[in-house]
Amino acid sequence: MNALYTRRLVTNAVAMTLSTLATLVGLAFLAWILWETLRQGIGAIDLKLFTKITAYGEDGGLLNSMVGSLIINFVGIAIATPIGVLAGTWLAEYANRTKLGETIRFLNDILLSAPSIVLGLFVYTIIVLPSTALTNGSTTFSGFAGGVALALIALPVIVRTTDEMLRLVPSTLREAALSLGVPQWKLTLQILIRAARSGIITGVLLALARISGETAPLLFTAFGNNYMAVNPMDKMSSLPQIIYQYANDPGEAMHALAWAGAFVITMFVLLLSLASRLILSRTKVSHD
Amino acid sequence: MTDSALPTNSPSVEAPVAATKLAVRDLHFYYNGFHALKGINMEVPEKQVTAIIGPSGCGKSTLLRIFNRIYSIYPKLEAKGEIILDGENILDSRYSMNRLRSKVGMVFQKPVPFPMTIFENVAYGIRHHEKLSKSEMDDRVEQALRSAALWDEVKDKLKQNALGLSGGQQQRLCIARAVALKPEVLLLDEPTSALDPIATGRIEQLVEELKSQFTIVIVTHNMQQAARVSDLTAFMYLGELIEFDQTEKIFTKPGKKQTEDYITGRFG
Amino acid sequence: MSNTDQRGIVATTIDATNPSDMQELHSRRDARHERMFRWLLKGCALLVLAALLGAAGATLWGGRDAFATFGWHFLISDAWDPGNDVYGALVPVYGTLITSFIALLIAVPVSFGIAVYLSEVAPAWLRAPVASAIELLAGIPSIIYGMWGLFIFAPFFADHIKPWLTNNLGNQPDDGKLSWVAEHVPFIGKLFGSDYPFGASILVAGIVLAIMVIPFISSVMREVFQTVPTRLKESAYALGSSTWEVSWDIVLPYTRSAVIGGIFLGLGRALGETMAVTFVLGNAMNLSASLLDPGTSIASTIANQFSEAAGLQKSSLMALAFLLFVVTFIVLLIARLMLRRLASKEGR
Repeated sequence: MNALYTRRLVTNAVAMTLSTLATLVGLAFLAWILWETLRQGIGAIDLKLFTKITAYGEDGGLLNSMVGSLIINFVGIAIATPIGVLAGTWLAEYANRTKLGETIRFLNDILLSAPSIVLGLFVYTIIVLPSTALTNGSTTFSGFAGGVALALIALPVIVRTTDEMLRLVPSTLREAALSLGVPQWKLTLQILIRAARSGIITGVLLALARISGETAPLLFTAFGNNYMAVNPMDKMSSLPQIIYQYANDPGEAMHALAWAGAFVITMFVLLLSLASRLILSRTKVSHD
Repeated sequence: MTDSALPTNSPSVEAPVAATKLAVRDLHFYYNGFHALKGINMEVPEKQVTAIIGPSGCGKSTLLRIFNRIYSIYPKLEAKGEIILDGENILDSRYSMNRLRSKVGMVFQKPVPFPMTIFENVAYGIRHHEKLSKSEMDDRVEQALRSAALWDEVKDKLKQNALGLSGGQQQRLCIARAVALKPEVLLLDEPTSALDPIATGRIEQLVEELKSQFTIVIVTHNMQQAARVSDLTAFMYLGELIEFDQTEKIFTKPGKKQTEDYITGRFG
Repeated sequence: MSNTDQRGIVATTIDATNPSDMQELHSRRDARHERMFRWLLKGCALLVLAALLGAAGATLWGGRDAFATFGWHFLISDAWDPGNDVYGALVPVYGTLITSFIALLIAVPVSFGIAVYLSEVAPAWLRAPVASAIELLAGIPSIIYGMWGLFIFAPFFADHIKPWLTNNLGNQPDDGKLSWVAEHVPFIGKLFGSDYPFGASILVAGIVLAIMVIPFISSVMREVFQTVPTRLKESAYALGSSTWEVSWDIVLPYTRSAVIGGIFLGLGRALGETMAVTFVLGNAMNLSASLLDPGTSIASTIANQFSEAAGLQKSSLMALAFLLFVVTFIVLLIARLMLRRLASKEGR
């Protein structure tokens, strides 16, 4: 009997130790990655990053890439947010528990994890290729195409958050408004979305964080640009794309710039995560 | 609103009461195939408080919610029969929802203020039916808040978010919101079950005041409340209307055994 | 509201003083707006479907030349010769599959360990911060993983871990003397033998991928572990079970389909990952048995070559993308189905 107990005790102890170890390993890698990004990135931060555009050699900055990222991200979020919020509203208010609604919800979850490079090629096929044909040959990459690709990546995030947040709104609110004679479409727009507002904003922030680091789809849509571009119809550089380019370059100075860019993106993403957590926690307090 | 009948405000009068406001004729209700209400016949008198009581699942809330057809947004729900309001059958598909909801208002169990200012909460519903100038709207909102005995407490903070009010205040706000539309019938679905005793007392007092202006139907699982506030009481059990009579009679000498068993607490 | 005038024409007049008429009008207008609104919403929701169909369709269309030219042979050919315009999918597909497999091999037990730690072992005050920290790993963009992998981890691996592996397990040790393991255990020698001087390799890519998918798998596992009814766990504890036994014998079987779903979710993520892998895989278009040799994946091949490709090469890259999409779609489909199975058991 004692042998049995001892064996079980040992197994348990080993298992508990291993699980703690696993967690430590996970946390260690997190720390290692963040630390290195911080270290290498801060070392390369220089005022000229924000004032000069990309140029080969020591004298380049990242200005055009940062501006490009801002523009492309903005286009992406501007397209994805209204479509995503409306789609999520449909799922939660008009199609909840219907077959079509369940199917779309299911497909949305799949789109959420779909390979972004394939989505980039999709946008390449429907936007870049046709516009190349229209301009007789010179491939028209554009910041706009990049924005559309990012919109496809942001869309399922916003759809899902809007759907879930609206479903949390108590049905009595709906019924109370209907009892006053308010038509369903008006109460959805004016009351329900307002009630779920902070959750929806969080979803948009999360989507923004997700697309800020996306590289692959931009390679064949926005492509890149060595000069400053502010017209979305032009080829446009972006931070992730320039990092990819510079990391593969043999020069050390280029590597340093790549790290600086990586640092900026990481900070931006961390700030967005923090902001969305703050918004969510604040509403939880004020509501009930 | 027309004042067509003599109001009867003494619950102990044995004589037949005032004119009928809502007449329920042979009402059957099904959800998902389940026969939830079976052949309900009932005449709700004007400007009196009618309470509907019964154990959980008896169908009292279901019945109440048919009076403003709030069930119609949910699929697989079906009502058969007639409910006559001022000579028209409100269950007829041609009867416009807008009209119904402006005549029949509802207050729910859990206070649900809209995520807006206190003023907006009351004004929101009015805007959907009437175009009023700013001063007219201000007056209407004040009138509604006074009817709900809330004006004094909120008159200085009309622009504040309604979510900052206490539970009892929020429920009175919901009542103000409903009476702002000047309905003829007011449906109250367990309006005090989420409130503390003091807030409950205030609302019961309010119901007493409101019945001079509106026909009130209140669903409650609290028998003492029904005895306190209502003029007539309907007892329901398993989807059927077992007994419907003057409140005093129901609670002192009920006609049916089932009613008596429920009142005396033999089953809950 | 309608009446017939002297000419016999039926006219609909609205009497603005009749409130019933006005309400009827309002109702009709509301119904119209309601319909328009619903169509708008539904259209937006259908765009989700359109995106998926579009992605599949566009890559299939782009790859039609390659499929037509090479047929089924495309899938098993390891050729990739832009000079002679011959392409085959085998090397990239192999790379994608093997790196994902390695990633799961590492990530699944580690994620399980983390999930157990967070649900059973950690003291209550520690749970939320540690869980948030692990989730932070999921938020780090993959290009950061790529940078870290290329500049920090791969060199570290090449300096400290690889020599040990090649000398003790590989078939090309520095001193020429094969270890006992390399001689007697089949395949190990080939798996770990390499004379490639850098760290970029299939194994490193697998490790980096593992770190990327660990937060996904562990958060799914943790969520489903929390849905196990407390009374189930308590009755096991009451019988004297240890924490480990409750996790392994009660919690895991109860949540089995969802756990599998979570693993497939991680797999789906790993298959489609581009940047983290591209930086550390070495971009070598050749098939090698060794895990310590460089290779390539579908996503990296596309990322590296698409911009300059044309004609049949471009079509082959599109064809590769189509294959990737189909495989990922199926994996994610299975994942979501398994996750929903547990949710429906809950009655959610």
